[in-house]
Amino acid sequence: MYEELLEDIAQTNGLREVNTYLKLVAGLGAILLCLLSTSFIAPLFIAVLLSGAIILLARVDARTYAELFIVPFWFAAMSVLVIILLSGGSEVYWSWNPFSWLSISISRESLNEGIFVFCRVIGGMSALIFIALTTPMTDLFIVMRRCRIPDAVLDLTMMIYRTIFMIMHLLVQTYQAQVMRLGYSSFRESIVSFSTLCGSVFIASWDAGEDLVRAMDTRCYAGKFALLGETGPVNCYSLAAVGLFLLVSSVIVIITRNIVMI
Amino acid sequence: MSSIILEAREIRYRYPRGMEAVRGISFHIRKGEKIALVGPNGAGKSTLMLMFNGMIRPDSGIILFDNEPVSYDKDSLRKLRKRVGFVLQNPDRQIIAPTVYQDVAFGPVNLGYSESEVKSAVREALRYVGLEGFERRPPHLLSGGEKKRVAIAGVLAMDPDLLVFDEPTSGLDPSGSEDIMELLDELNHQGKTIIISTHDIELAYPWADRAILLLEGRILQEAIPDVAFGRPEYVRQAHLSMPILLDIYFELEKRGYSLPERKPRTVLDMLQVIDVAFKKTPCCHASPGTISVFDVDSSPHDSLPGWLASHPGVSIGAMGTRAKQHASDNHIVLDFTYGVIDKCILRAIIGESSLILTSTGMVRRVEHRVLEFATVSGISVPVRLMD
Repeated sequence: MYEELLEDIAQTNGLREVNTYLKLVAGLGAILLCLLSTSFIAPLFIAVLLSGAIILLARVDARTYAELFIVPFWFAAMSVLVIILLSGGSEVYWSWNPFSWLSISISRESLNEGIFVFCRVIGGMSALIFIALTTPMTDLFIVMRRCRIPDAVLDLTMMIYRTIFMIMHLLVQTYQAQVMRLGYSSFRESIVSFSTLCGSVFIASWDAGEDLVRAMDTRCYAGKFALLGETGPVNCYSLAAVGLFLLVSSVIVIITRNIVMI
Repeated sequence: MSSIILEAREIRYRYPRGMEAVRGISFHIRKGEKIALVGPNGAGKSTLMLMFNGMIRPDSGIILFDNEPVSYDKDSLRKLRKRVGFVLQNPDRQIIAPTVYQDVAFGPVNLGYSESEVKSAVREALRYVGLEGFERRPPHLLSGGEKKRVAIAGVLAMDPDLLVFDEPTSGLDPSGSEDIMELLDELNHQGKTIIISTHDIELAYPWADRAILLLEGRILQEAIPDVAFGRPEYVRQAHLSMPILLDIYFELEKRGYSLPERKPRTVLDMLQVIDVAFKKTPCCHASPGTISVFDVDSSPHDSLPGWLASHPGVSIGAMGTRAKQHASDNHIVLDFTYGVIDKCILRAIIGESSLILTSTGMVRRVEHRVLEFATVSGISVPVRLMD
């Protein structure tokens, strides 16, 4: 493969065998708590704990995790900067009026608000990444069927999932073949190469689609897609761990509800 | 002779707006046969094979499966495809589902098996191809050989009588190819009829019971492998090369050596030919070595390590997927994984002992091959079943 995909990490992570529902409850519960919290402490606590779980329990490479985190991190940082500078407050530390209609200031309230939003984003992000890195799509299909998602939609989703990797593979092969023959050496060349890449991958995926129908026919397709396997059983240790995590986080949310940074 | 399972009578097929790919082919295949369809690219192999399970309907002529003409309504086709398993050349194109379990279960589910039947069919098929524990893996993270095995398991789960493989070894490394050929042998031993198409003469030659040479949509030659591959003019016409053992045999013959009638198909056969040619008494050791056979299905597993410790230096071979699995689980280093019986007989002739790990169904085959060797060469190699 050309580069490591999130899905590939999820397929081999250390928490793969933990019951899918438990992982989802932990992740979604964490997001909910981040949203409910009125102080910056609880989201920060959740972020630290879940990051620890991703790196130590799921054994995801810390560098990979950091790279994943860096994009939303900068995005959050810049948004928060705007919030801090533009929202006003009563206790102003610094202000600047370059124009009559624009005033930039840093106040106690705006700083608190900024830090709070920032921690919330970080907490929510770590919960989302926790789900993405520990729960592969193939396990989510099982949950989706339990949630009564219509079979037609689910079958289509599964076929799309399988096809994505095939097309991805085709794309990489064609792209490499173009690069080997200096397909992207100039701007003009890149545009031509890119358009042929799109064209040939489209045709190849069309072909693959026809083959898929044929393959299903040879195996007696009668409108039924395969049953799914089961998720791992609920293990008491992991159940206790998730319960404890959510409980402690909830308690922190309640205790710290009035605490502000400054 | 067993009954005929598949028969073609004067079939012809022309692709829409294309050339005629199959130009009047007739043949029949008996139950339990191993057939190799051989020919250059564009000879019509794939087209012909797609007719076996009704994916392509011939323009004229009929195909009979189990002595019944194939009919092309939806229901009969389903019944036919349940009994004729087809493994495509490119496993990526055959694997449909996002996990190994789901893919192997695809056929059984569509055949309307109950959930527990599906489960046992999948478990059995995966065990057979040696992919236990791969159930939840997604196919795109598997190696080429593993994908091929998943594709085969998907077909085996439907328990077909006839298995059709388009280029089963293409894109695999040599040991992967040998493993697949051995798997085909094992399946054949369970009573399945097997048809493969291939370019790989060296693999097809010792494996097949009969070879069908195709050229430009016609049958060029249909015979046992040493005849089919033994005619230089046909081999050249079909863009093939002669198997190296046959080549050596004919070269020896040209030099005026008197050779046994039977053409060599394995290295063991070749050695006999050489012994006869050079008038050498075949046995260079007074007493041949013993071949011990260990049945991984029924023998007590704890007896093996002790035996191995007391017999250092013995060559070990494993026959069949389960035996190989057993060896790798117990960290036994294998010397032979393909053509195991012959390799062990070769060891025995020079006085060395060897051990074969195998499953219950294959034990008889060891004894059979050794007996066969004894009648041809006059050397009886002792076979000892371990318990």
